[in-house]
Amino acid sequence: MTLLADILTILLNGLQQGAIYVLLAVGLSIILGTLKFVNFAHGALYLVGAYLGLFITGQVPLNNGQLAEWGIQSYGIGLGFIAALIIVPIVVFVIGLLMERFIAQAFYDRPDTDQILVTFGLAIIVQEMLRALLGGSSQPFPQPSWASGPIALPVVGNFPRWRLGVIAITAVLVLGVYALVEYTDFGLIVQAGTLDGEMVRLLGIRLSRPYLVVFGIGAALAGVAGVVGGPLANVNPNIGTEQLVPAFLTVVIGGVGKIEGAVVAGLMLGTLQVLLIQTGYAAWSQVGIYALAALVLLVRPQGLLGSEVDVS
Amino acid sequence: MSDEPRDATATAAADADAEVTGGLADRWASFRDREISTVLLTVVGVAVFPFLFNNFLDGYTQLATLMLIYGIFAVGFDILLGYTGLLSFGHAVFFGGAAYAAGIFSASVSTSPLLVLLAGTVFAVLLAWIVGFLSLRRGGIYFAILTLTFGQMSFYLAASPLAFLTNGENGFTSVDIGHLLGVIDIHGGVPFPLTMLVDNMLYVFVAVMTVLSVAMANRILHSPYGTVFRAIRENERRAEFVGLDVWRYKLMAFIISAAFAGIAGSLFAIEGNYVPLQSLYWTESGRIVIMTVLGGVGSLFGPLFGAGLYLYIENIVSGFETLGPFWHLILGVVFVVAVVLFPNGIWGGIDYVRDMVVGGEDE
Repeated sequence: MTLLADILTILLNGLQQGAIYVLLAVGLSIILGTLKFVNFAHGALYLVGAYLGLFITGQVPLNNGQLAEWGIQSYGIGLGFIAALIIVPIVVFVIGLLMERFIAQAFYDRPDTDQILVTFGLAIIVQEMLRALLGGSSQPFPQPSWASGPIALPVVGNFPRWRLGVIAITAVLVLGVYALVEYTDFGLIVQAGTLDGEMVRLLGIRLSRPYLVVFGIGAALAGVAGVVGGPLANVNPNIGTEQLVPAFLTVVIGGVGKIEGAVVAGLMLGTLQVLLIQTGYAAWSQVGIYALAALVLLVRPQGLLGSEVDVS
Repeated sequence: MSDEPRDATATAAADADAEVTGGLADRWASFRDREISTVLLTVVGVAVFPFLFNNFLDGYTQLATLMLIYGIFAVGFDILLGYTGLLSFGHAVFFGGAAYAAGIFSASVSTSPLLVLLAGTVFAVLLAWIVGFLSLRRGGIYFAILTLTFGQMSFYLAASPLAFLTNGENGFTSVDIGHLLGVIDIHGGVPFPLTMLVDNMLYVFVAVMTVLSVAMANRILHSPYGTVFRAIRENERRAEFVGLDVWRYKLMAFIISAAFAGIAGSLFAIEGNYVPLQSLYWTESGRIVIMTVLGGVGSLFGPLFGAGLYLYIENIVSGFETLGPFWHLILGVVFVVAVVLFPNGIWGGIDYVRDMVVGGEDE
């Protein structure tokens, strides 16, 4: 019985750990899969989500950064966590639309290296702007009061309520996006555009609007990931780039453009990490996910659920 | 000057665009295309650089040394990015890896600077063979992501599982560098005539390595081998149809550029007598990307220039009262503007202005 409980605990923790990867990876993946655009600024959107979440949830005291030097002692509007969960994705969605219109669009026809370079530069700008204004120190992102403390689960025993919340929010969002892509006309157009954009245009369907929306949705997911992931660790200007690399791994392992692939890969990475930590190999927990990624790519270069056609 | 006969030794490249140019540009091109002139320009450049830098730009010799080290790194990186068209986001592995290898070698095998340099470079080459072999399984963006993956893996490996070798987060502190060829104290002063230009031996050592590296890069890029790299950048598929083993050339470009990173990394360990863990982190890879792109991809001197500019902003401009806190932000903005508007970087801009002045002369 205890063995079962241990296994379930590791799985649940792995789910939670992987959930953030999944949220980021799904956004990255749909943008990469449909628009063929490599967004190295995806981590920056996560970062914006986290800071915006912090700003909306409460009053954050400032003790360094330019704002503090200009005499502003704290920032925040204190609307609470639910508000953050609603407002942040909307704001980041709009940021995504702007990014697509003013930056990404100009780079669709340029080599992918240029796309990587420009989004990498954007990520630096966002990160350094936040660092300059708010200071580089870590700020705690408090858990919502209604979700703090443990909850008693059958078999597993006590489990942090917030971690369960993270899993639930991720599940709802990812299922929503999956349904949107798989079961709606919008999703059908996007999928058809991915397969053969030329043909879709010949049928008289304008693809620029759906593509714009895809970019926005991808961005919004990164923003939500920031709000949801914020309370799991402190918020500082480096978290965006720190999350970007595992998110990319998740996409590559799962297969580009495959939402279910991102889910499977994210959970694999999360579970592996938790497993290594809980069995006393904490030092290897980071190396492990990269090794797993390398292994998968050696065996299946197109990713676990990716199709052969994708291999370029 | 159009009545002047054309220089008979002008190369084919100069011949090709001579019709639009006057004699001056023509002679400049024939001069520029000779290997010896590239080397001479570099020698003169590295010789007067610290003098000018220290006296007119608030610089100091240690920073000048560091600029050359990163310059070597960037020249190698440009062979991959600018000439072959592959964007690696994991080049810190070769820089930091070589630095660690050089440091550990110096602490446990031999303290001879040349052997230390060799050990670091060989390590980088071997590592590049493995990483390149795995990363080049997929092209384009996947290559960038995979190199990033292996880069991060090495960072986390060095951070804890291999901490017994690398000293973990504290960085490797036991670097031990002996005398060059048994007689020259590399961290000491220079003999008299040189003192007018530089004040330590380390700079001279790094400068010599810089000249050798530039000469080597120039030789590679102007050989048929380098032409294949450019062919791959222009159109990979076409290169394949011509019968070239594209994959193997890409792997070689990767290894060659890692060798430069290895030289730079080893020099970095020798220079600072210390290897920080940070030298393996992916932001270090990002730095070299920024340096190369800012300076100008696809040119020999652009990356050197970019490395210098980056380190100048990082070390000097960051100290300014008002601009200081925003230096990284400013650099980010300049970088994005460069990518969007000036894909050939600052060196491309200089080329452009020169062409306007001397007359149209394009590659």
